Amino acid sequence: MWKEIGDREMGKIRPNSFSSQIKSNRISNLQLSNNKDIVSPHRGSINSLQVDLTEGRYLLSGASDASAAVYDIQRPTNYEGNGLIAKHKCLFSVDKQHGKGHKYAISSAIWYPVDTGLFVTGSYDHYIKVWDTNSTQVVMNFKMPGKVYRTVMSPLATSHMLIAAGTEDVQVRLCDIASGAFAHTLSGHRDGVMAVEWSTSSEWALITGGCDGAIRFWDIRRAGCFLVLDQSQSQLGWRPPVLARSAANKVSVSKSLSAGQNSLGKPRAPQKKYANGHGVKQSTIGRVPAKSSARQRLHPGMLSIQDRATAHYGAVTGLKVTDDGMYLLSAGSDSRIKLWDLESGYNTLVNFEMVRLQTSKAIQLAISQETAQVFVPCMTVVKAFDIWSGKMSLAFHGHYESVNCCWFSSQDQELYTGGNDRQILVWSPCEPITDDMDAGHTKDQDNWSD
Amino acid sequence: MDKGKKRRREDEEIEAVDSDANHSLSLEQNLSFSDTLVALRMMRAQFPHIDKVSIQPFILQSQLYSSVKDRTQVDRELESLRRDKVVRVFKLNTGQDDHGIMFLDDYLKQVEHVVKRMEEKKQCDLQVFKWFKVHVIESKLEPCIGHQELYALLSLGGRMKDEHISLLINSGFLTHQLIDPSMYWFAIPNIGSILKGLSQGRKELLSLLNRRRYKKMMLAPLEKKHLRLSPLDMRFHLRDLIGSGHIKTVHTPTGIVVRVSKD
Repeated sequence: MWKEIGDREMGKIRPNSFSSQIKSNRISNLQLSNNKDIVSPHRGSINSLQVDLTEGRYLLSGASDASAAVYDIQRPTNYEGNGLIAKHKCLFSVDKQHGKGHKYAISSAIWYPVDTGLFVTGSYDHYIKVWDTNSTQVVMNFKMPGKVYRTVMSPLATSHMLIAAGTEDVQVRLCDIASGAFAHTLSGHRDGVMAVEWSTSSEWALITGGCDGAIRFWDIRRAGCFLVLDQSQSQLGWRPPVLARSAANKVSVSKSLSAGQNSLGKPRAPQKKYANGHGVKQSTIGRVPAKSSARQRLHPGMLSIQDRATAHYGAVTGLKVTDDGMYLLSAGSDSRIKLWDLESGYNTLVNFEMVRLQTSKAIQLAISQETAQVFVPCMTVVKAFDIWSGKMSLAFHGHYESVNCCWFSSQDQELYTGGNDRQILVWSPCEPITDDMDAGHTKDQDNWSD
Repeated sequence: MDKGKKRRREDEEIEAVDSDANHSLSLEQNLSFSDTLVALRMMRAQFPHIDKVSIQPFILQSQLYSSVKDRTQVDRELESLRRDKVVRVFKLNTGQDDHGIMFLDDYLKQVEHVVKRMEEKKQCDLQVFKWFKVHVIESKLEPCIGHQELYALLSLGGRMKDEHISLLINSGFLTHQLIDPSMYWFAIPNIGSILKGLSQGRKELLSLLNRRRYKKMMLAPLEKKHLRLSPLDMRFHLRDLIGSGHIKTVHTPTGIVVRVSKD
């Protein structure tokens, strides 16, 4: 460590690589924290964890007993064990006793991306509530047609304040905080939607993963989705080769042609598909779609409804986009994690070694961007995989029951995990325990927050 | 892997590829290979001979994962072999993500064998199988196909009727997808009893290890045991379960130990 600092001083290492070296050293030392403890007031399994995006100071958790709680993870509420263990109790918690609180389990609790003055919770009681943090009152209520599985807001949004909600219902709804009404709905999935994420490169792009196994990309400014990920379309490498696009694209061309033939009924360019000289048979091909289907004409933007490509063989239970917006990681109930290249839309065929993932609930993945690692809750263990090679680098054993959610704070290199055993565990790089008590527990003038 | 073993393996590969069913190689020496194609050929040569059912050798994808270290490399090489029409990948119905891999020549031999057996039984209208072989297998390389596309491709051979598709399903070339009624999986005909034996053999092997006090056993004596419920041999099942993660191998000074993995 001192050698690196010396090299940085000399200018031998660049600042970015210096900081990423230190961060990856700390991440490889992650273990159950010996000096930090979060005291959770929840009486049900923890379903959702999020640290606020503006300051990285407040952790919001949502649990199955309809309670949501906020903790300050940088300043402990009290010290125990001779001042060595910092206990973080919740600053406040809203549960069933609150007059307007949720009645059933909270499946998703997120901060308003702009500041910590608001947070949004979605629950199995079909409601999405927007809360004011300082007064802990419900400001807005949205009623959904089914159990809410996930609510997300875009961290990049400057011109809209939409909450995208994935529910039991096949349509994804967008709720607008500014007007208090629904903006519009996105149809295309054939079963409930368990995983929703906003794109990290565009404030208009939304990614949803459904229980039918499909992952769809939507531009919320127009109808229909613009991309459906198909696990059989793959590329051999993290980026597609520059010249070999034609080989990979033959499949997609034939697929879009068959979809086109079904809905528009015109035998448009079938010779592109059957290039081996069966020109005589073209008339029979042309007659086939008209005979077999009498579908009504669909809006061109809605053609994607007929695209039945699946990204996983089971339901899609978790989605996470990398910070640069180039890759998407998806977890499915077929116990597979797949890495997708978002620019080409293909499966990169990176194999993450997995035996079992939990299938009934959605899981929350976390990505550490500098070290290119993804943290995946696999039953009772949280495993860290290298994104590019798929090899497991770390395994965190600590929970007594299945882990549902994890959040990685890249500012402090700490991992927070919550599971069915009602615990929120903190995993941090090991700190040396000093024998003497610091004199620094006095009132700190810098301890303030917006 | 030291040089002596590697040379021995290459020699064995040459004789194994020439002569089928080389049983005398122990699993301990042949646990890992360097390349997917080498692994595929070796495992094809080691495919057990089954008495009552005539089936060409096939390899499970989990077996490949157990033999080549880097799983991503396996996936990618398999994908390029599939695109080059060297192998064909089939989704099997024995488990969550089971895929069976068969060399294209073996698959075509299997198809011919089944068609010949149907001819002997004097069943009518076998031309659909010829159309299937010529038009569908050659052009559609994925493991699944949609109804419209199948109809269109078969029509290239001649006049298509819906009974032809039912004939293909009944003889085992296609199966319906459970999620989507208009999509079909390609299947290996005549493989039904072997797939049943596969799932039963997996359960039997896992229960054999679970019954032990410490849930582990040395590989060498384990390999010599016979499975009652499966026509496939112990080596096949061991590779499959190691690759899917249910069993782990530990290298010890006295040999390889196999144990049930607790996640």
